[in-house]
Amino acid sequence: MAKKKNKQLLRPWCWYCEREFEDEKVLMQHQKAKHFKCGMFHIQQVHKLEPENLPRIENALPGRDGYEVEIFGMEGIPVPDVADYKRRKEIELGLTAGSITQPQAKRPKTESRTLSEDELRAQLEAHKALMGAHETPAPAAADTNQSSVYAATPQTYVTSTAPNPPVPIPPLPMMHPGAPPAFPGMPPPPGAFPGAPPFPPSIPGMPGLPPGPPPPGFPVLPGFPPPPGMMPPFPPPPGMLSPFPPHGITPPFPLPSMTPPVIPSSTPAPPSLSVTPTPVPGQPTIPPPLTLPNPALAQTNPELKKRTVLKYSEPNFSPDEVRGRHPKYYVAKDTSSSTPEAKADAAPEAGAAVAAPEEARGKKRARAEDFL
Amino acid sequence: MAFYPGASSTSANVSSTAEKDVEVTDSPPDSISSLSFCPVADFLAVGCWDNNVRIYEVGANGQTQGKAMYGHQALCFQFAGISKVISGGGDNAARLYDIQTGQSQQVAQHDAPVKVVKWLETPQGSILVTGSWDKTIKYWDMRTANPVSTVQLLERCYTLDVSYPLMVVGTAERHVQIFNLTNPTTPYKTMPSPLKWQTRVISCFPNSTGFAMGSVEGRVAIQYVDEKDSQNNFSFKCHRRDQSPASKDQSLVYAVNDINFHPIHGTFSTCGSDGTINFWDKDSRTRLKSIYLRPMSRSGSSSAFNRSGTIFAYTVSYDWSKGHSGNTPGHPNKIMLHAIKDDEVKKRAQKR
Repeated sequence: MAKKKNKQLLRPWCWYCEREFEDEKVLMQHQKAKHFKCGMFHIQQVHKLEPENLPRIENALPGRDGYEVEIFGMEGIPVPDVADYKRRKEIELGLTAGSITQPQAKRPKTESRTLSEDELRAQLEAHKALMGAHETPAPAAADTNQSSVYAATPQTYVTSTAPNPPVPIPPLPMMHPGAPPAFPGMPPPPGAFPGAPPFPPSIPGMPGLPPGPPPPGFPVLPGFPPPPGMMPPFPPPPGMLSPFPPHGITPPFPLPSMTPPVIPSSTPAPPSLSVTPTPVPGQPTIPPPLTLPNPALAQTNPELKKRTVLKYSEPNFSPDEVRGRHPKYYVAKDTSSSTPEAKADAAPEAGAAVAAPEEARGKKRARAEDFL
Repeated sequence: MAFYPGASSTSANVSSTAEKDVEVTDSPPDSISSLSFCPVADFLAVGCWDNNVRIYEVGANGQTQGKAMYGHQALCFQFAGISKVISGGGDNAARLYDIQTGQSQQVAQHDAPVKVVKWLETPQGSILVTGSWDKTIKYWDMRTANPVSTVQLLERCYTLDVSYPLMVVGTAERHVQIFNLTNPTTPYKTMPSPLKWQTRVISCFPNSTGFAMGSVEGRVAIQYVDEKDSQNNFSFKCHRRDQSPASKDQSLVYAVNDINFHPIHGTFSTCGSDGTINFWDKDSRTRLKSIYLRPMSRSGSSSAFNRSGTIFAYTVSYDWSKGHSGNTPGHPNKIMLHAIKDDEVKKRAQKR
């Protein structure tokens, strides 16, 4: 059906001169007479002569007079040229865009056989992933609350800690008659669900539920901090910590008059400041990925002038920052690998890491002394 | 390069290669992160990503001698007096190393790597300022383990330069925070960068009236602090290359890695990720000289003038602009010394 309609609109045409013909037979006759004047065409095809020395194809539009494209009737016309021709034809015939191109698209083959279990599952996963990709970021507060509601109930589903869609979940009457409806953001009344069935966390096809927590290193959506349950297995990098509170501001320096100030080398590091980002034990070589202190303020590069290539195109981090996170250069690796017990101590908690810089300091000094 | 019409006419000064320059012997085994000349003696400190800092003594004719080395993954340096080097680095600390005693000690602590250290000689005395990716700058008098003062920045400190009493900080997200060091705890002025791409480096004019800043998008802005000078602000493109030798499209855009002002003449150098170093005169808006590192490498990562402005040191080293994959084993890591001729750095007569 579609083919027939198409034929009416789009008759065979000659690539060389863009003339339309009744059918392909006439087109071929035309091409033989007008463009493939005896011999010339098969000079290249049969006698394999150098195309540079060939005369150009006669009666052709500019740019289409070469032998680079092998045309035979309607065969061999470059795809962009076909599309371009169709577009122009549509305009010429006063049709809406795509009316020629559309029907030509083959109807997708549908198999009528029943799908197997595995195929169905795969399709469901694909669908879920697709829906999850369209998910809009939810306000952070609602998110964490919601997940804490879920986490409060005993259940085994992994997906429960995943961010939930911003759609408020309607009260689920079938779950626990008599219990107050659970609204997102409302903690469950203590003991309200003793032995109650868990929330159905992943209703099949429930929109906006990604299949699980994103893998570490997965870019966190702006304005969408992960709820506690799905923090990557690293302590947050220093930038993520709450901004350093400004110290007691001292008005214009009480400056020392003598120039060479000497600190005894045993001066302890200020304990409150020595938060060294250290990988958790077991993954000592993978530095945490760079994260923005405030993802909402992520920068984007402005448009470049056409045809220019920006060689360093990362807008949010300097090359040094990126390099510093490379396993080869990551410093926390150095401090922790030298002292195994420091590595064990280096829990994400701030206080636990105090020992590490001390250790490293001692080691480094020793090395410098060796050198001299 | 519309702002620099003289660029092509000064071809007499453009050396096609850097062959005549002297290479520092015993170059570091890995990329060079930073280098700095001592302001009172002929020492050159070089930080390397192999977690060592090397100090060289530079002779009058460019001969160099390894002087000292200590362990620190340093991102920046500053000499404090004749024999002390302060380095800030990836271990979130700044260290002071005494060349004479061979002792190093921690003098500052941040919550993230220290990107900038500056030793300020102020009329009231000397003080250390450190800028870090933890979004703070801190002032230290080095007698106590705690900073004299901490200033919260808007974003991570990427670059900082001082020409007393002017201090300019360039941060991530393209903020520029200007401090008057007579009141060092509050920014005198905060403004968005005049350049639209990530700030790479800021360098103050020796006369403290303004600063030059370079971005990753091959562009340098000249910015005056005082509003009345604002008509002199301008920016210009540099460190770009043609896609192919045939086309003159300048479509490959490289980062400006470092800017240094000549201590005497007030002209300045830029070194770029494209492997060129240029000397410029901002007042006559001309390029004075180009050094091409291309036969050797792709990027000039940092540079410095010595105290008298007779030697220009630059590094030929990988600047990580292409990430890990760009760090090919054969990439050279060199420190080169260029003997400066006067006409390469002297200001030109203004044409306008």
